[in-house]
Amino acid sequence: MSVDLGDTGEAVRRGMLAAHPTLSRFSPLPRILTYDDFNAGTNGWTELIGNYDGNGNLSTVDDHMRDFRPPQLSNCTFFDTGTHGALTGTYALKLATRPYVGHTAVAIRRLTMARKGLVQLETYFTYKAEATLGGDASNNSFGGITWDGNLHPSEAQFGAFTVATDICGDGGMRYHTVMRYRNTTVDNKLDQRWVYPVVPEPTPREHLEGKAKLTYGADFTAPDPADWHAASDPMGMCFNEVPTKVNWHYLRWLIDTDARRNVELQVNDTVLDLSDVPVPVYSERYDSLENLLNFYFSVRTHSGVRNFLYLDSVLVSVDW
Amino acid sequence: MRHAQTAVLERGETFTGEFATEPYEVAWAGEARFFVQTVDGAPGTTATLTTQLSPDGLTWADADDTAPVEMATTAAGMVTWRVREFGGWLRLRGEVHGAGSGPEQGPRLRIYLVAKE
Repeated sequence: MSVDLGDTGEAVRRGMLAAHPTLSRFSPLPRILTYDDFNAGTNGWTELIGNYDGNGNLSTVDDHMRDFRPPQLSNCTFFDTGTHGALTGTYALKLATRPYVGHTAVAIRRLTMARKGLVQLETYFTYKAEATLGGDASNNSFGGITWDGNLHPSEAQFGAFTVATDICGDGGMRYHTVMRYRNTTVDNKLDQRWVYPVVPEPTPREHLEGKAKLTYGADFTAPDPADWHAASDPMGMCFNEVPTKVNWHYLRWLIDTDARRNVELQVNDTVLDLSDVPVPVYSERYDSLENLLNFYFSVRTHSGVRNFLYLDSVLVSVDW
Repeated sequence: MRHAQTAVLERGETFTGEFATEPYEVAWAGEARFFVQTVDGAPGTTATLTTQLSPDGLTWADADDTAPVEMATTAAGMVTWRVREFGGWLRLRGEVHGAGSGPEQGPRLRIYLVAKE
């Protein structure tokens, strides 16, 4: 049944949230489905992998979906100052790419829907490119940024991070809602827009049917950069100059699984109305996925420098 | 309950010559164990596997109290060893001996890291 607390109940709920030292920084819908602070484990966030054959032969996994890297519990330690720690407690969930152009790391959390309606994901996150150590003067410039004591080339070495869903219901109707912060374009120029794909993600079944074949390092969410459209103007973040300073950002993303729509995205003080952002549905129906409700985060390097996405905490809430 | 976590650092890549696994953070763990499995062997090959530690994930040294592990990789099989008091990061440095120069002439290895609080 859906949550209907009434005016008094809602006031009590808001008062209890406001007084709660941990939850006060969130704005959850009436029912909290999951809350992860990563100080006691990965809480179900695990590496995504493509599908394999009946013999468990992992050579049958699509090349672009076979190496999304295991998530890590990180205390955010850096070469210059040691342990930074997370926003809450010591540990954050860390997604790390390989140092390979186009490589993507993906962590997924797998749920199902007990009902349809509003679903909201909130997180405190930060992102960094791996620090470069050495004596090469050319490392002071990258992607149009030259170190000037304030801006640092590391910022242009970070590609993009993505928050997305994989949802299926109503007899196999499957779709993704996807929001990506494209820090740089694939040619390493600062872009800093929120973008969304206008095509559904290529699936293992489509590969098996000969409809799609992507290479290692391809963008698994939507491989053609032209299929990513802007949802915002350029929007600077607090990268904080160098690759070893961590500032946590707030993100709140609301979708509607009843209408199969995006609703809105808040990132710190910016709220984007996503009601006009399309949600492409697969033309074919999928079995074995009824009421699927998956969330994933990904991080992709466009520079070949390892890229990291850190999640201090993630809260998923619903109105059902 | 003690927290435990298994990471699949390599999932069946073909290895020839020298390699190193990606850095993996384990500051939370008190003990760990590597499992290295030969998924598909390669005739005439062996591998030397050296545990490495790092304070920052960037600079690496061989583990001071864990000897390199020699592994036959001619056929399916698995080796395992324990690691303790490792600091914040772990990885494996490996070298496959006896493989031809072609990309598919080395063994296919699966590498697990199991860490426990």
